[in-house]
Amino acid sequence: MSDVLLDVREVTKTFPGNRALDAVSLTVRRGEIVALLGHNGSGKSTLVKVLSGNYSHDSGEIVLGSEHAPAGIHFIHQNLGLIPSLTVIENLDLGTRPPSGGLAPFNHAREKQRVQKLIADFGVDIDPDARISTLTPAEQTIVAIVRAFDGWSAGDNVLVLDEPTAALHGEEVITLQNAVRSVAAKGAGVVYISHRLGEVVELADRVIVLKDGKVVAERARGHFDQSHLVQIIAGGEIPRDVAQRESTIGAVQLEVRGLVAPALRGVDFVAHAGEILGISGLVGSGMEHLNAAIFGSITPQAGSVRVGGAAITPGSPPASIARGIGFVPADRRTLGSVGTLAARENITLPRLSTLREPWGAVNRSRERAEVNEWMTRVHVHPAGFPEQRFDLFSGGNQQKIVLAKWLRLTPRVLLLDEPTQGVDAGAQAEIYELLVEAASAGAAVVVSSSDTKELSAICDRVLVMRDGRVAEEFARDTLTESALVRAVVDDGPGPTIEGTR
Amino acid sequence: MTQTIRDDRRSRVLRWFGFRNASALWVLLAIFIIFSITIPRTFLSPRTWTSLLDAQAVVAIAAIGLVIPLAAGAFNLAVGAQVGVASIFIGWLLVNVGMPIPLAIGLTILFAAAIGLVTGLVIVRFRIDSFIATMGISSLLAATVTLISGGRQILGMPTELVDFGTGRVLGMTFPFLVMIALAFIVWYVLERTPLGRRIYATGGNPEAARLSGVKVGAIVVGSLVACGVLTGIAGIIVTSRLGNADPTIGPAYLLPAFTAAFLGSTQFRGGRFNVWGTVLSVYVLAAGVKGLQLSGAPTWIPDAFNGLALLVAVGLASSVRIAGRPSLLDRLRSRRSAAATEESVPEGSDAGADAEKSPVDSGAKS
Repeated sequence: MSDVLLDVREVTKTFPGNRALDAVSLTVRRGEIVALLGHNGSGKSTLVKVLSGNYSHDSGEIVLGSEHAPAGIHFIHQNLGLIPSLTVIENLDLGTRPPSGGLAPFNHAREKQRVQKLIADFGVDIDPDARISTLTPAEQTIVAIVRAFDGWSAGDNVLVLDEPTAALHGEEVITLQNAVRSVAAKGAGVVYISHRLGEVVELADRVIVLKDGKVVAERARGHFDQSHLVQIIAGGEIPRDVAQRESTIGAVQLEVRGLVAPALRGVDFVAHAGEILGISGLVGSGMEHLNAAIFGSITPQAGSVRVGGAAITPGSPPASIARGIGFVPADRRTLGSVGTLAARENITLPRLSTLREPWGAVNRSRERAEVNEWMTRVHVHPAGFPEQRFDLFSGGNQQKIVLAKWLRLTPRVLLLDEPTQGVDAGAQAEIYELLVEAASAGAAVVVSSSDTKELSAICDRVLVMRDGRVAEEFARDTLTESALVRAVVDDGPGPTIEGTR
Repeated sequence: MTQTIRDDRRSRVLRWFGFRNASALWVLLAIFIIFSITIPRTFLSPRTWTSLLDAQAVVAIAAIGLVIPLAAGAFNLAVGAQVGVASIFIGWLLVNVGMPIPLAIGLTILFAAAIGLVTGLVIVRFRIDSFIATMGISSLLAATVTLISGGRQILGMPTELVDFGTGRVLGMTFPFLVMIALAFIVWYVLERTPLGRRIYATGGNPEAARLSGVKVGAIVVGSLVACGVLTGIAGIIVTSRLGNADPTIGPAYLLPAFTAAFLGSTQFRGGRFNVWGTVLSVYVLAAGVKGLQLSGAPTWIPDAFNGLALLVAVGLASSVRIAGRPSLLDRLRSRRSAAATEESVPEGSDAGADAEKSPVDSGAKS
């Protein structure tokens, strides 16, 4: 029994209107690599946050090691938490050196030797004096692992890796996998979270699949293969609650031809008035940059974008807005809004001309009335705080306000990145309704999302991106979540994925 | 719905006069009461106050000018030097070149605007941080002042100009009236027009503003041009009040202008740089210093007073988290349950009795 380093027993975590974890139990043993799989919204990231102590769980128990030999737990997040401008040694020292008199000089030669040896243990060769910013993403991840290791006190440890390979490709993935294996070989337990099933099949001793906050499958090595996992994750058909609508698809509203930008290598597609078009794909496939490139938030190197038949100036948000394009970026805090301004000011920012009096002032009573109407229309709860600063609203309300900001312009094309990320279930449904409404009003709605459940529920058509191009297309009648998941993940870690962030 | 709006409006009025929103008003009141008791004869004399209003007009204009780039998110460490260079430039045009007054004023303002334009282009085109860029510009302007003046005062301004600098209407001097007029214009543009909205959006989050169609670069450049025009006017007034152009005058305006702008940002508009908060701050600080001077305080006291006032005001404001944030007390009260409700409740909307209820409820359960 002392073999178990991490024992999660019946852990439950509820958010208002959403049970994120429902009596989840799992164990990790010494020297074992356990892969944690599941879709967005399955509860993976909530579990990680409960383990790291960012969230407190409502009930259940988490035991690390045993009473007389407690184990440590360490996390490697997607954001590695390294300081790019410092060297490898300096980063390691930050995390680990006990400041026994922070002014005591340290022996650089000896330190370098020590770090070199630590890194060599993972089968790679990194110069300890190199700046982090000069290393490849895989090397950076390994430095983060080394740092976690370096901080380990004697005894048992658990390492949690959250999507460590999302930004890696080809050989880098293999390098990292070897490093993870050597972590386990040293006697630590590893929790490995990844979307890439090919990788997991290679690496994991055991897989645990989460779905809607529950553990739906647990398989030991030899009892799963890739197609099997796809089946479990995608599961049965998800009821389409929003989707029961009569879409009236009109003429071509948005036409994208040969679009080339960072991570995009020639994208062609059209979207029609009244249509909700989904963009799917792995991180690094280009799906996360497509809308930004269309809108002009990043400047495309080549290609054309036409709205209603007329070409728009590439790389110019004002021109795009003037042509009737709205863009809801994935990160509503840093890109979608001005946090220090009131909700009212954010909503009217893209078009103030309609509120302007002949003498140049904004007609404030008209503005308030209009904003109040919009905040009610997009269901901001509780209503009545148009003057509150944007950054004080909850995630769901923030997203609705950003939506209101663009819906107010009655856009011809509405581009959205990850529209329901970090949004609770209730708000999610309301956001879907708003997208359907916008489409019904004649807009071409383009939703780029890593949530395949979302896409299969609300879209009339979904494009799957791979390698910076549109690789597959699902029309309404062939669109099921499992088919979509298969197309997205079955691909495995492609060796030529470029231009990740 | 209308009920909520009316409540919202009423509580807005109440909050307006609260210490949190208008601490400078209360400090002014305190200063007034204290010195009225200790030195009533000198402090309460009308002469003290008219001279106070007049003497601070230049600082106030420079500070109002500074508010514009600060609102757009750009520092301007050259405000002092800009006042100085305009002051010398008009003196040189009038005395050394012998230009008529209206032309000289026009040219000086044009010159000051050009300085702002260059500063703005340096920041936007070459992507130099505004803090560094304006530091460099400030040094260049100091060199320009010495170049024009040779390090000596320019004496013998035309009497018309001096008359303007010292003339009065209804007991108010022209410089003070010009300052009030400029404050109105800048206030109107910043608070009432689409342009002002775009300036604040740019200062709040340039990337998000850009994605909302705001031409961020033009806003930053424009804000520095406007600041240039105002500092130009300030420089002209300095020269007109003194009756000569003094090459050493400029840098002394930098700190007071910044102090007033930052102190002003803690007033009225919840953390935003704003005109009336800034003007009020100029006079609160000046009244305090004046009172201390009249009380016979040692000469190091005014500087100490200004420095402390800034630190205390800004420190208090950020610890109370102005701008519609819940006060420290509110936050402590709702902290117990914050973790459970963070996903869906707009935490501590200020006037939000409704919003307040739910965390308390769920807090009681857990």
